[in-house]
Amino acid sequence: MKTKIVLLLGFIVLLAGFLRFFNITKVPPSLTWDEVSWGYNAYSLGIDGKDEFGRFLPLTYLESFGDFKPPVYAYLTVLPVKLFGLNEFSTRFASAFFGTLTVLLAFFLVRKIFPQTSSTLALASAGVLAISPWHILLSRAAFEANVATFFIVLGVYLFLVSLERRWFIVLSVLSFVVSMYTFNTARIVSPLLLLGLVFANRKYILEKMRKEFVVAAVAGAIIFLPLFLFLLTPQAKLRFAEVNIFSDATVVERSNQQIANDHGAEWSKVLHNRRLGYAIEYLKHYFDNLTPEFLFIKGDGNPKFSIQDVGQMYIWEIPFFIVGILFLFRKRDGHWWIIPYWLIVGIIPAATARETPHALRIETTLPTFQILTAIGIYYVFKFVSSIKYQVLSINTGKLLATCYILLATFNISYFFHNYFVYYPKTYSAEWQYGYRETIAFTKQNEGKFDKIIFTEDLGRPYIYALFYEKYNPQKFREEAKVDREALGFVHVRAFGKYRFVKGVLDNLARNQNNLYIDKPNRVPKDAKILATFTQLDGVSILAAYTL
Amino acid sequence: MKNRLNVLFWLIIVIAVVLRFWQLGNVPPSPDWDEASLGYNAYSIMMTGHDEYGKFLPVILRSFDDYKPGLYAYLIIPFIKLFDLNLVAVRFPSALFGVLGVIATYLLVKELFNNKYSEHLALLSAALFAISPWDLQFSRIAFEAQVGMVLNLFSMLFFLKGIKKGVFLIPSALLAAASIYTYQSEKVYLPILFAALVFIYWRDLVKIPKKWIALSVLVGVIACIPMLISLFGDQNAFSRAKGVSVFSDQTVFLKNNAQKIADDKNRGDIVGKLVDNRRVEFAKAIVAGYISHFNPDWLFITGDIERHHAPGMGLLYLFELPFLLIGVHQLLFAGYSKKTKLTIFAIFLIAPIPASVTSGVPHAVRTINFLPTFQIFIALGMLAAVRALSNFKLKYLIFTLCILFSIFNFSYFINQYFVQQNYYYSQYWQYGYEKAIDFIKPIKSGYNKIIVSNQAPLDQSYIFFLYYLKFDPKTYQKFGGTGTGGFAETHRGFGNFTFRSIDWSHEDKGNLIVGRPEDFPSGIAGLKTINFLNGRPAIKIVEK
Repeated sequence: MKTKIVLLLGFIVLLAGFLRFFNITKVPPSLTWDEVSWGYNAYSLGIDGKDEFGRFLPLTYLESFGDFKPPVYAYLTVLPVKLFGLNEFSTRFASAFFGTLTVLLAFFLVRKIFPQTSSTLALASAGVLAISPWHILLSRAAFEANVATFFIVLGVYLFLVSLERRWFIVLSVLSFVVSMYTFNTARIVSPLLLLGLVFANRKYILEKMRKEFVVAAVAGAIIFLPLFLFLLTPQAKLRFAEVNIFSDATVVERSNQQIANDHGAEWSKVLHNRRLGYAIEYLKHYFDNLTPEFLFIKGDGNPKFSIQDVGQMYIWEIPFFIVGILFLFRKRDGHWWIIPYWLIVGIIPAATARETPHALRIETTLPTFQILTAIGIYYVFKFVSSIKYQVLSINTGKLLATCYILLATFNISYFFHNYFVYYPKTYSAEWQYGYRETIAFTKQNEGKFDKIIFTEDLGRPYIYALFYEKYNPQKFREEAKVDREALGFVHVRAFGKYRFVKGVLDNLARNQNNLYIDKPNRVPKDAKILATFTQLDGVSILAAYTL
Repeated sequence: MKNRLNVLFWLIIVIAVVLRFWQLGNVPPSPDWDEASLGYNAYSIMMTGHDEYGKFLPVILRSFDDYKPGLYAYLIIPFIKLFDLNLVAVRFPSALFGVLGVIATYLLVKELFNNKYSEHLALLSAALFAISPWDLQFSRIAFEAQVGMVLNLFSMLFFLKGIKKGVFLIPSALLAAASIYTYQSEKVYLPILFAALVFIYWRDLVKIPKKWIALSVLVGVIACIPMLISLFGDQNAFSRAKGVSVFSDQTVFLKNNAQKIADDKNRGDIVGKLVDNRRVEFAKAIVAGYISHFNPDWLFITGDIERHHAPGMGLLYLFELPFLLIGVHQLLFAGYSKKTKLTIFAIFLIAPIPASVTSGVPHAVRTINFLPTFQIFIALGMLAAVRALSNFKLKYLIFTLCILFSIFNFSYFINQYFVQQNYYYSQYWQYGYEKAIDFIKPIKSGYNKIIVSNQAPLDQSYIFFLYYLKFDPKTYQKFGGTGTGGFAETHRGFGNFTFRSIDWSHEDKGNLIVGRPEDFPSGIAGLKTINFLNGRPAIKIVEK
């Protein structure tokens, strides 16, 4: 590699790292319960190799809140927690770190996909990913999806490497399998991607790579086996049943009504078959992920994945994105087909769910969107730099490019300004802001009280108490009172001095010296309020009181 | 060969006619208020020369204060003479122009493409236009937008002929002017389109005799004068444009932005002061409006509001999706002439501009000028796919599967449109007035007063009573005609009819009350209840 390219790549990766780590403990403003759960499980695993509820070296899942999290993120967080302590930074470290690495990897991936094209394209891809609102937002919180994306990109990259250095196929397969232990969606996307790669290169594999491929397949199968066995259990299906579109009864009702409107004709039963109804429904949810508003204007409706003022991609990317798609199909260089295949496959699992579009569940498609933009930039730049026409002895090509770069810079500043200045304030509730402050208070004062009665209204307070108290996991397992619902949900009712209850008012005990934590509007009139806790937008969220 | 293609052309026309005229008065099941308004205004102009407001030969119809160009109403008049004032007459010009649109597509494609396959391409594009859910939706109802689009196509066709033979520029100018008298958006669309066409065909234009250019511009300008006078003569005529634009509701739209600006100033945030700018928010809204028309959901699955698509259908067929993508790539990169490419992409990219500055996007009516570019892309894609597969072993299997799926998709649409639409969407077509008025007509003289609700979904109910009663326009105008077209205001009524919101407890005894089911206390059976076609009650007629 030329030094210039190395320097530029170094700059891009540094920029990516900066944009992912800068002020990461304050933006987003606080940890969601899923993040806290990752952190505490990592803390627990780091102490005695057991998860919060005492399963030794869990391989296929963490029970957590009954959502059966794939465990890799917790293991990756063990070391950061050991190094930096149990806090926001260490919890989010793995996501930001692997997010930064994905940017580096994107460079090498694109060079492998388009071996004939200059490294400028690879640099552009890494650059676009480095400043991508989509990737930045998902890298700045403990989202296991972001790490899964890293392993998928690594898997594809290593596969392409193996076409020259055959044994790398084993590492590629392993990387894909690890991604499946990292994030649910990857369990469908990774096998399909690998299948496509193998199919496209079947001749080469059959002729030149037989031995290596068999070893890779066997190794992959062995590591995959525990996960496979787990996926057959009812617990694994719970989450899917909860969120999928195929349980929507209105489709069946509509189908029946339409057949009735056709007076029950046989042909109508074919035309309005309910499977067809579901197919259309599925397609709608699939297309949801490709709507321009989602991609370029507003982004995911969930403020955790988008700041709502900017789309998953920047507006300035639109023309490049379109040119990129067109030129990808026009040039058909190298392994060009991987990009559309990856993008199409990456959306398949997310489209079965009701909440679409969903930036997190389709993060497995990254960085294909950014590569398409980069291809557009590359070819447009090539065209513009060929313009010789001059106005007042200024090259029009350069003039146009400068104007557009100014526009893009403006657009990017708009994103960062809104993200770093207004986003934490506006959306602190989305990030369960207030728990940290509340637990800091209870921790300081718990010696003065017999019990702490804590409302469950804001969801899963126990995990925050564990996290911010750095509660000894062993002690927690001994003391904890845990209820498990039929649907798999896990409720921790009590540990130490903490009692977590649905209605605090039903649990008032006037003869005891208790500390109560409840919503401010539910504090009894005669209570003595010790502290109130507010979100960053000024709304009071919790109050601590005694009687 | 030539003969066979000829037969195909006429077959396509027959299909276009059948799809547009069959059940024209029954599907969609009833006129919506705009159709009723066009019908009654046409009737009024025919009988008296004045519209419902008493304006003599209006260029612009005030209607419900939307001030729409009035040409469509004049187009209805001959059909009222032929069929009397009914839904078929009101919708007839639209359906007719739909068929003309098929011909325009055929001729335009033949004019634009000059290769071995141009005849095939033209026939295929015309066939796709003939069965297009998008065009059928708006050529089977009295929405003037579709007529405007077809006029634009003919105008473009004559323009393309005109750059070879100058005299044709004159009909081109006249048709463009006619389009401006037909539909609002054309005032934005046509100037941009013709600017683009002049730019694309500049070298050809400078070659033709100057007199034709001068004459056509002159004719065009003169033809537009009455419209300009009407526009600038009445300030309210711009109210509609203001009402629907993204700039209309500024306070809500900019509330967040204003807070941020104030906050930035307090903190002395320079970047903030620069980017938290209301112009940025407007620019964003316009870009959002523009690209919303490339939403695959909207195009293929859901459409926008109910009156703009059949239930369960978008604006294009699903089977067209792959060919659309191939077609765009094909037109861009295959060896067609640069002018052809630029012309089609110009239409395609300019079509969403008028709608993008309005709220309520994506909007299938305001962007109907997209047609027939989608169909041309799809036809190009189909031909390219056939060519690409011609050496493929399994080609017949693939062709058969594609054709089967297309037939299935088409049958599905036909069923959704002709059967399911009336059941699911009758309320959106403001169904029920015809039956209600049929019931009231024989008994209306027995009441001192008949009170009709004008609250949603019965807003603008007066126009339906005028329309179905064929209330004598002369008498109506003598009463003062329509006072105001605002949605919230009380209508002054006519005969013994009054149109206002109903307050059951304060209504006088002995009056006939026509209202929504929720206007009456539960348990009152009334004289008659008219249901929507899905069985839910629509209108109740009760004697107090």
